[in-house]
Amino acid sequence: MNNHFCAFSFVDRIHPGRSPDHISGSYLVPSSVCAFPVSLAAEAVGQLAAWAAMAAVNFERRPVAGIASRFELLNSPQPGQWLDLSVDIETIDSDAIAYSGTASASGVPLIRLQHCVGPMVAVADFDDPQALRERFALLCGPGAAPGRFGGIPPLIPDRSGGEPGSSATAVFQVPTDGAFFADHFPRRPVFPGSLLMHAKLELARALASEAPPAPGAAWVLSAVLDMKLRAFVPPGKILDMEARFTDRSSESSAILVETKSGERPVGSARVFLTPTAIP
Amino acid sequence: MTRTEMTQDEINAIFPKVAETMADALGCDVAKVKPSASLIDELGAESIDFLDIVFRLERTFKVKIPRGKIVEEARGTLSEAEFETGGVVTEAGLQRLKEFLSEVPAERFGSSLQVANIPRLFTPETFCKIVIRQQRSARAAATPAA
Repeated sequence: MNNHFCAFSFVDRIHPGRSPDHISGSYLVPSSVCAFPVSLAAEAVGQLAAWAAMAAVNFERRPVAGIASRFELLNSPQPGQWLDLSVDIETIDSDAIAYSGTASASGVPLIRLQHCVGPMVAVADFDDPQALRERFALLCGPGAAPGRFGGIPPLIPDRSGGEPGSSATAVFQVPTDGAFFADHFPRRPVFPGSLLMHAKLELARALASEAPPAPGAAWVLSAVLDMKLRAFVPPGKILDMEARFTDRSSESSAILVETKSGERPVGSARVFLTPTAIP
Repeated sequence: MTRTEMTQDEINAIFPKVAETMADALGCDVAKVKPSASLIDELGAESIDFLDIVFRLERTFKVKIPRGKIVEEARGTLSEAEFETGGVVTEAGLQRLKEFLSEVPAERFGSSLQVANIPRLFTPETFCKIVIRQQRSARAAATPAA
């Protein structure tokens, strides 16, 4: 099966009325998947921004995941929901796109991304420019047939050490194969930054559960700040992850999550937590 | 971008904010961000950090910084052929670069500088001067012609 524009494509339609500083679109989360992580809603917003960026430079360059200054996790997307995607573009040039954006469902905000930067790379190194042009025309016209996403495999970092309730180290084995690699990207498979973010959030969530804010309460992941991806991650790569509390009070806490490949930093993010009562 | 174009007081006035912005982008202590520190060799900046720094400075100072054009600006009136040969900065190019990056200690330029290594020369003060230039340009553009 050709998984191009199927296994990891999260824009079904681009709405009319696109302008140089704004683009909106939509995506139907297939009801057949058992979950749709919030990091994939961020991926959908990023992909909408990527379409705007590629169209602006005649599909000669495309952005890749780089920086998200602030990523607010407001509500969880659900299978079967239509996601309304919106992107406000600060700048696009041959070096980078800078944008902010949101995903919502039936008027309920799911995520908010602020001050994101995607460095631009040569499209032809990663994908077929003509196929992308045709796909863009389809999305801007009748739209793509929904329901092509088949879910993602479990992406749980394997805990290797740390100090319970204070820090956690883990090994994360990037899958060697996966349908999403055929779509991200056809000419050069790269582990999506949003899935790496998902794995980091899993580690942060596990660490947070070891140090609840108070009896009868738990931490909820509310935002990710200063998320930065420094390198392409190929299939099969083994990454070291470390999560540690950097701030802790009864009202809020923060966990810094860093990822390395050997000594080389691959990415980092600061995860913010707010307390909630356990029902 | 020579020192005669702007005063040290102007640079000192914005340096604390520039240093804070860079520390946030690099995830390091602000005390490590010295005016003459090499962003790459001493502060560990990578290409993604330069993008981060530029966008953060744009937001902090409300200016537009011409990304990827710093080297082009450094070249000034020299043609590409006058500035570099086979990826190596020419003698004339080196002279021009030393004037443009007057804040960089002379010994860092070396005798055979690859164009690709020019960003290794950049310091926090380099970006202070870029911000000041852009602020001046914005002010000039906003001032009605007499």
